[in-house]
Amino acid sequence: MMQIYKIDANTVQVICCPPEDVNRGDYLLIEDVNSERSLIIQVINSGYVNVPGILEDILRSSSTEKLEGVDLDPLEVKSFVNIIKDAELFTCKIRGALNKGKLSNNVSWIPPRSTSRLRKLPDVDLIKLLENEPQKGLDIGTLKGGGQISININSIDGKLNIITGKKGTGKSHLSKLLLIQLVSRGGICIVFDVNGEYINLGYTKNEGKTSLYDRFIPLTPGNDFKVTPQYAGLGVFLRVMENVLGLPATSAWEFRRIWKELKKQDALTLNNLNSAIRAVSNNYIQDALLRRFESLINTKFFTDDWSVATVLEAEMDKMDKGGALIINLQNINSKFRQIVVEFLLSKLSQLLENWGLKAVFLFAEEAHLYLRETYWNDVVTRMRHLGMFTTFITNQPDSIHKSVYRQADNIFLFNFTNEHDLEIVSRAAMIDVETVNIIARQLPPHHCLMLGKVLNNFPLIVRINSLKEKTMGETRLFFSDLKIKKS
Amino acid sequence: MQVLDFSQKAPYDFIELGNTSLKNTIESSHRLRNIDSPTNYIGNFNRLNEHEFIVNFDEKKLDMIRLVYTDEKTHIFGLDTSSIELGETSNGLLCAVRGTIVWKDKVKYNYTRYGPFIFHVTENNKQFLYNKLRQMYFGASKAAPTPDVWWMPGRIRNILERWLQGQLSQSCEDSVILWDGSLTAWTIDSPVALIDDMLQMARSRGNVVLAFSKKTKFTIFGRRIADLINNRDAPCLLDLDEIIRQQYGNYLCFFGRVYAAKLTPSQFSFRLDVDREIERETGINAVQKLISNDIVVESYPETLRLAHILSRFSASEIIGMQRLIAENFGIRTVFRPNIRQILFGPYGGGLVNNKMIL
Ligand SMILES: Nc1ncnc2c1ncn2[C@@H]1O[C@H](COP(=O)(O)OP(=O)(O)OP(=O)(O)O)[C@@H](O)[C@H]1O
Ligand SMILES: [Mg+2]
Repeated sequence: MMQIYKIDANTVQVICCPPEDVNRGDYLLIEDVNSERSLIIQVINSGYVNVPGILEDILRSSSTEKLEGVDLDPLEVKSFVNIIKDAELFTCKIRGALNKGKLSNNVSWIPPRSTSRLRKLPDVDLIKLLENEPQKGLDIGTLKGGGQISININSIDGKLNIITGKKGTGKSHLSKLLLIQLVSRGGICIVFDVNGEYINLGYTKNEGKTSLYDRFIPLTPGNDFKVTPQYAGLGVFLRVMENVLGLPATSAWEFRRIWKELKKQDALTLNNLNSAIRAVSNNYIQDALLRRFESLINTKFFTDDWSVATVLEAEMDKMDKGGALIINLQNINSKFRQIVVEFLLSKLSQLLENWGLKAVFLFAEEAHLYLRETYWNDVVTRMRHLGMFTTFITNQPDSIHKSVYRQADNIFLFNFTNEHDLEIVSRAAMIDVETVNIIARQLPPHHCLMLGKVLNNFPLIVRINSLKEKTMGETRLFFSDLKIKKS
Repeated sequence: MQVLDFSQKAPYDFIELGNTSLKNTIESSHRLRNIDSPTNYIGNFNRLNEHEFIVNFDEKKLDMIRLVYTDEKTHIFGLDTSSIELGETSNGLLCAVRGTIVWKDKVKYNYTRYGPFIFHVTENNKQFLYNKLRQMYFGASKAAPTPDVWWMPGRIRNILERWLQGQLSQSCEDSVILWDGSLTAWTIDSPVALIDDMLQMARSRGNVVLAFSKKTKFTIFGRRIADLINNRDAPCLLDLDEIIRQQYGNYLCFFGRVYAAKLTPSQFSFRLDVDREIERETGINAVQKLISNDIVVESYPETLRLAHILSRFSASEIIGMQRLIAENFGIRTVFRPNIRQILFGPYGGGLVNNKMIL
């Protein structure tokens, strides 16, 4: 049986004796039969009730000498005492209220202690409260009680999401799960894949092709992903040279002149750019330009040969039923990554603005490795406005800019144990610090605390579904690597 | 060494009478009719305070007996009981009693714990309960005046304690048996004949009964006995028998030789009564066997301390029993005593010279 012990602001303490199957994260309903009102609360912590005398009991039973004996306990008092000793105290947070069965946000109502009844809110009822239409949902996972959680596509569409948690907890896995379902529903996605772990999503675990095989397009910059200077445009070139490669402003000005000249002559090729730079009379400028230009050439990301060059519009056309470009950023250096990202973000903006691309979902793993300072704000404001909806995935919550936390619509929080990390996450005002601190610490692997609009602002602990697809997220093992090399 | 199994014996009448009282099935017709005034009991309820002996004598006359350790192996048995009030009902009170026998073998302490037995004592059933128990356990044929309901938990506890003492007397051989309290008979709780019988029985099987009193305070010209004995002298006994009997012999019946015992160097000493019918030397030797075979902490034998702590009720047990009564018997408590008060109050507490025994 559960009873209200204390209510203090947003916190309700509940005593449960004898024990019931209630766990952290579970929802309870405090119903007042007389007024047809109820409070929806969530258990965020549990512990033993501070029954008087327990300390004494423990001290007694931990006598230093060896002690064994028999109890002739005809009334079986012991079982009753154990019930008392096992009485649990749940610390709960108020998450909502019901008035005549309708969700209401008037949570200031205090249920009467004597006539209120407490019960666990079954998954089915809870799921109803999330106001998710299952047919429009992406299947994400299950609640502890087995209830299926699918999130409304609208709660991802147009939204900014953060997936965070410590290493190996299942962040990338969730992002793949979202990606696959978005793609299968016609979404166009781009993945910045720093670990090269999304490139095999078109395959099943036993190397067969999945039904979405054609829709995942892996692109390895410098290899099967090259662009012509014309297609990239002056803007990209200049930004890369200035911001990534540190070209001084005067030299940039010279480069702009060369570029425009060649373009006028319809002779914008890498070779011609090279020759023109070499013809610059000022040695100092020539040298500065040449060094930057050569490092661009060395990436092999640029080509003059249109037949091997990637044109995003063409790729997008192929994805009319949904698809994803997996940009494999593995094994390339930080500058090269930034060049690729610079190119893609600028191109995507153009496509969204002018070309009729309606929306694109961007999955950015460890974005701090390639996202320039100035882009963070851009991504959450201007580009979002244009229709680029980003999901940041990171195990370093402090690498994500504060503005992103403020703007985030949904946070998928996996296990964290580090105090500092938790503090950063709990700043995302979406939820009370206590919930984050207690629940996030205890999340098992593959479970996440979902926060935000995604579930109608009811925080839920969800076990994320597994995938049929080949995920490559697996920790590399020495021996399995060995096998691959031999064969 | 003997192996004893106390778990085969149970005070069945405690179980049954307790249950009957809870089910409220004791009719007033159960009341015994012949309520005679007691003849074979000494004392009355308004007694002088046994726990305070103010001894007036010359310090030099004190006979101090130094104790020595021995290799002789002996079984040590101890027992203790406790009672507690669980709450008041509209027509009486609820209480529980429990008792424990503890003994030490070569490697460990063993115990058999009896209870808790729960009683619902009311004005209607107290006479029946009390006399029935006395009849069954003391073999008392005649009814005794029943105490006030408030005294009943203690009286019932005492009957359980006497029963357990009887069990030990009958079962043990060549052992040291430790009782809690004294070997003084003077109240309705201590029928002279019964104590006599039990000591006799124990003796006939080669046992020595030693009674340790936690509560008795000796003061000699205002000074505690413990202060009179130098720590260097411990373990030792002070023979107070003659002096005490001279002063109190008229009021009390002493079955034991009274000593003050300081068994370890510490600030504590206890009153120790040794069965009087046993040779003085044999009695002293029994104390030496005790200190050699048991652990003694702060002058108090571990066997007895364990019996005490195992019998005492903890707060969670009290709440558990209150719940049991409500759930299984539907008895409503109108007033629940404050748990701290019952646990730490003057008679419920386990204080040895202000030091709590857990
Ligand atoms: N819901 C799940 N069901 C089954 N397996 C899972 C699930 N989530 C993750 N895994 C597996 O656990 C491992 C780690 O997952 P994942 O790579 O997603 O972790 P991560 O949080 O992204 O780690 P990192 O911080 O190293 O990137 C992988 O082998 C993945 O397949
Ligand atoms: Mg990952």
